[in-house]
Amino acid sequence: MSEAVLEADGLRVAYGGNLALDLPHLALRSGELVGVVGANGAGKSTLVNALLGWSRGAPRVSGQVRLAGEEIGGLPTHERVRRGLLLVPEGGAVFSRLTVEENLTAAEAPADASRRGYSMEEVFDLFPRLRERLHHTGSALSGGERQMLAIARALRLGPRALLLDEPSIGLAPRLVLSVLQTVRRLVDSGLPVLLVEQNVRAAIEVVDRLVLLERGRILAEGPVAAMRDDPRIIAAYLGESVA
Amino acid sequence: MSLVQQLINGLILGHAYALIAIGWTVLLGVARLVNFGHGQMYMIGAFMAWWATAPLGLPYPLAILVAIGAGLLLGLVMQMVMLRLTLEQNLVSIMIVTLGFGHVLRGAAALAFGGTPQILETPLSLVEFEIAGAWITAQDLLIVGAAILVFALLRLVVEHGRLGRTARMVAEDPKLAQLAGINVKRVYLAVFAFEGAAVALAAALVAPRTPILTSIGFEEVIVTFVVVVLGGIGSVMGSYVAGVGLGLFTALFGGFVSPAYTTAAAFAVLIVVLVLRPGGLASARAVR
Repeated sequence: MSEAVLEADGLRVAYGGNLALDLPHLALRSGELVGVVGANGAGKSTLVNALLGWSRGAPRVSGQVRLAGEEIGGLPTHERVRRGLLLVPEGGAVFSRLTVEENLTAAEAPADASRRGYSMEEVFDLFPRLRERLHHTGSALSGGERQMLAIARALRLGPRALLLDEPSIGLAPRLVLSVLQTVRRLVDSGLPVLLVEQNVRAAIEVVDRLVLLERGRILAEGPVAAMRDDPRIIAAYLGESVA
Repeated sequence: MSLVQQLINGLILGHAYALIAIGWTVLLGVARLVNFGHGQMYMIGAFMAWWATAPLGLPYPLAILVAIGAGLLLGLVMQMVMLRLTLEQNLVSIMIVTLGFGHVLRGAAALAFGGTPQILETPLSLVEFEIAGAWITAQDLLIVGAAILVFALLRLVVEHGRLGRTARMVAEDPKLAQLAGINVKRVYLAVFAFEGAAVALAAALVAPRTPILTSIGFEEVIVTFVVVVLGGIGSVMGSYVAGVGLGLFTALFGGFVSPAYTTAAAFAVLIVVLVLRPGGLASARAVR
């Protein structure tokens, strides 16, 4: 088994006095697509946000996060991004007043020689629609296009590991499949991806491994083949509590 | 006084207004922040330019640089002090802190420079031209030229440069900007440093028109407020147009109606414009 590109140990997140996430260990290996599933409020977004030290609220985050063997848990968000840990937050967050081109070119390319950002051509190969919409502002894009742009912007920054938070949210079923298949292609090219997804049925078709969260704790995890028929996963399809 | 002379006065005054307001334009457009110490920073810039020329005997161009350096430093210190409030976008506290900072600056200036009005004499103020029967000094031309140059450069940077794109990303969503690898704290510091430097440049160029006292600055902050709001918050071109427009209005109203009611009339125009176009004259996206 290849070495973990991204690892977290003892990751804990608390809002006020409430513990929202308590994760003893999590690893993401090269060329691996790990799906994080669970009901609403299970702590899925909290997990990926905590790995980046990023939040729109003000949580207390503790624990270790290592990227390519380097401890990054004490670094501010922008430094983690520069080291290659990229997050596409929920809703395909893009800069709506900037054009597609500006969204793609504003991001600084990585400085170190061990990795490189995707070129514009590579981005257009993955998402041809973005080439057609190059001079439109982010606010003029559809939900699917925003999602593509958000992923493309992350790729331009040269990720060592990519975290995707609910990329299928608000998308038509056909588009969900297309986005997830693109994610699979990225993983097959060697990029490890941690995919937070509420659409378990769709996620299960592309991921290698599943992590089931419930109230901020890992309830089950393992290869997708072994977990496909797990009753707790079946419950998660329906968004039911499984505790 | 002739119409031509009033128009020229208005154009000069308008460019002075635009120049004084440019720092605030960027501040509001990029950081969504206000600085009610802006007027006192203008006053310090004026005193620094005077101090560099009169007591120190430096040539005027160097005095301008001294004022810009002091303004830049003040802006940096001010933002470092209130960085946490900025990151939290705590506008009420920021208003109070910047107001307080302005009063501290006024007190410090009184201690350092005393209560005597000073005159910033520049060689350019003594060079006069006659255009169509109206008089204009080289200093006035410098104000107009500098304002046009600074606005053109700023527009170029904001719309076409990487720096401008970075600033616009922070303006739109500072949290999301972090996920694009942007050091948001550094952007905020840079914006305040620019604000301090820009208002100090404006002071060094505009202050030779009036006596310099520690009490100046209030009118400048009011004018800045009108220009920035009228132009459309954060709009570079809007601020330029609003500044020049306000200058022309002030000169023409003062010259042909009544100088005593110019400020009241300017605010009446501001109210009408904002009622008709709540986004200001530009009604465009921020920092454009």
